[in-house]
Amino acid sequence: MTDGRSSPNTTGEIVVSRLTKIYGNARAVNDLSFRVEPGRVTGFLGPNGAGKTTTLRMLLNLVTPTAGQATIGGRRYADLTDPVRHVGAVLEASSAHKGRTGINHLRVICTAAGLPRSRADEVLTQVGLAPAAQRKFKGYSLGMKQRLGIAAAMLGDPRVLILDEPANGLDPEGIRWMRGFLKSLAAEGRTVLVSSHLLSEMQLLADDVVIIAAGRLIRQGPVDRVIGSMAQTARVRVRSPQAETLRAALEQQSATVDVDDQGALLVRGVDAPTIGRVALAASVELHELATERPDLEGVFLELTAGKAGIR
Amino acid sequence: MSNLVRAELVKIRTTSTWWIMTLIYLPLWGITLAFNWLQTDALTRTRLDDVPAEQSEAVGAVAQPDALAANLYTNGQFFGLLMVMLLGIVVVTGEFFHQTVTTTFLTTPRRSAVVLAKLAATACLALIFWLVTTSANLLAGPAVLEVVGVSAQWGSAVWEAVVLNGLAYLLWAFFGVGLGTLIRSQLGATVTGILLYLGGTIGALTVLVMAANRFGDWINNLQLLVPSLASALMTTGVDIPGEPPRWAGAAVLIGYGLLSGLIGILIMRRRDVS
Ligand SMILES: Nc1ncnc2c1ncn2[C@@H]1O[C@H](COP(=O)(O)OP(=O)(O)OP(=O)(O)O)[C@@H](O)[C@H]1O
Ligand SMILES: [Mg+2]
Repeated sequence: MTDGRSSPNTTGEIVVSRLTKIYGNARAVNDLSFRVEPGRVTGFLGPNGAGKTTTLRMLLNLVTPTAGQATIGGRRYADLTDPVRHVGAVLEASSAHKGRTGINHLRVICTAAGLPRSRADEVLTQVGLAPAAQRKFKGYSLGMKQRLGIAAAMLGDPRVLILDEPANGLDPEGIRWMRGFLKSLAAEGRTVLVSSHLLSEMQLLADDVVIIAAGRLIRQGPVDRVIGSMAQTARVRVRSPQAETLRAALEQQSATVDVDDQGALLVRGVDAPTIGRVALAASVELHELATERPDLEGVFLELTAGKAGIR
Repeated sequence: MSNLVRAELVKIRTTSTWWIMTLIYLPLWGITLAFNWLQTDALTRTRLDDVPAEQSEAVGAVAQPDALAANLYTNGQFFGLLMVMLLGIVVVTGEFFHQTVTTTFLTTPRRSAVVLAKLAATACLALIFWLVTTSANLLAGPAVLEVVGVSAQWGSAVWEAVVLNGLAYLLWAFFGVGLGTLIRSQLGATVTGILLYLGGTIGALTVLVMAANRFGDWINNLQLLVPSLASALMTTGVDIPGEPPRWAGAAVLIGYGLLSGLIGILIMRRRDVS
């Protein structure tokens, strides 16, 4: 695809190893290990309270792990000489001073990180916030705050992006913009780790997923493989005026057939072309023939069933 | 490091706290000037024979022209120190109140450096407060002295008081930063700071005076341990009989200043930001 993927690029790899965080007597994160590769968008998924935010904050040296460690390009965040140029992070939407203008918020970061102040204007334009540059943060909408956070993360042109629920508060246009934006960053060879609850969005965005629940790793891998591993059997939805005839014919082909509440047949065990052929042979008229692929949402709910819930 | 200090100064400059403090401080400065005028006037009229014998020495000391001048040239100290302490508090607690601490520590994971930069930036601000106040005092003070019939004093004792006053501004700014790290709630830290400053001064004075009456004058030396009394002592311009020497006040304040800075760094290094 791109240089970032074909050439071995370990500088942006995120490695979480045996990370644990105990609050009081609750294990917010429990012996969690996973890797995030450069050049791909990795979705970090889990029910409320699963420990996503805590994990990301430990990765960024904001929270001290009880045990284990996390590194970015082989180094802990605290040990990076120039963190802003290596890693961009978007945590919550409200980490700017309410009385400060958007542009000044970015200039403070530029000054502290030794970046030219002109970067502040550049990233504001990049996220489409230039018209609101001189407005105070308290006058920003949720989506504008989120964009300012992304702008701040981009200041140092980092090769690693870490985002905690960045789609929060974005409008459909904004969500589509962000999807394109993050995908293009990954295509440039950067590492993109993004947590989210929006599973349909994740299915469009992510190449890999890391699914956790109750502080533990549930499943990790490329999206297709994770989905495939759960529901090998795709389901085909068939509508026909002669449903009973078709059903009998299909069951002879050792398919399992259910009927939904609208009278459509839900067929498992044979694929759509086979069903078409069977229908033709039996001279049965077809009104609908649709393969329903299992989606990330279904897989997620199945994987985290019983492990979800606020602890 | 200089980048960090500049960033902290930009943070202060791009929010409204500093000019709100200044606006509050201006009338307070005027009030203390009026008060000191009356006091100076009263002291120059006092005949030592009228004063009870055991106090005559002390009153004699503060009525010296040097002491009168020192008092006027350090005018505004009482509220000025309060202001810089509150600024120091806001510089730290504002980060938690507005959740900007996440951004700050992401930008600079070396947290000790962040606290040091905050100390330095607050110190800059405190010195500006001191410089402006002192300039105003050096204009108003001689005028007051002339009105009450004392010639303006420019001796070394006076300058010493002015410089020590600057030190007091610096150290109170440090207390503010230290207090802000100890109590991260903005309201909590502000209220505690004001109580310590005002209540501490008045309360401690009352207790000390009562204790001194009961147990003897050596108790008076304990006022050194009360930061606001130590800083007042430090800037009297002359050593007052029956009270600890000025340098001791300075030493105690420097000790407190360093201690609060150090505690601030230690606390910030460990704290989870979530
Ligand atoms: N500062 C804290 N003190 C005590 N418990 C905490 C703290 N921060 C998080 N927790 C607990 O740790 C667990 C994980 O929280 P975390 O915020 O990491 O979850 P999350 O996966 O980000 O959830 P969400 O999807 O709702 O954002 C929760 O049970 C939470 O109550
Ligand atoms: Mg979260």
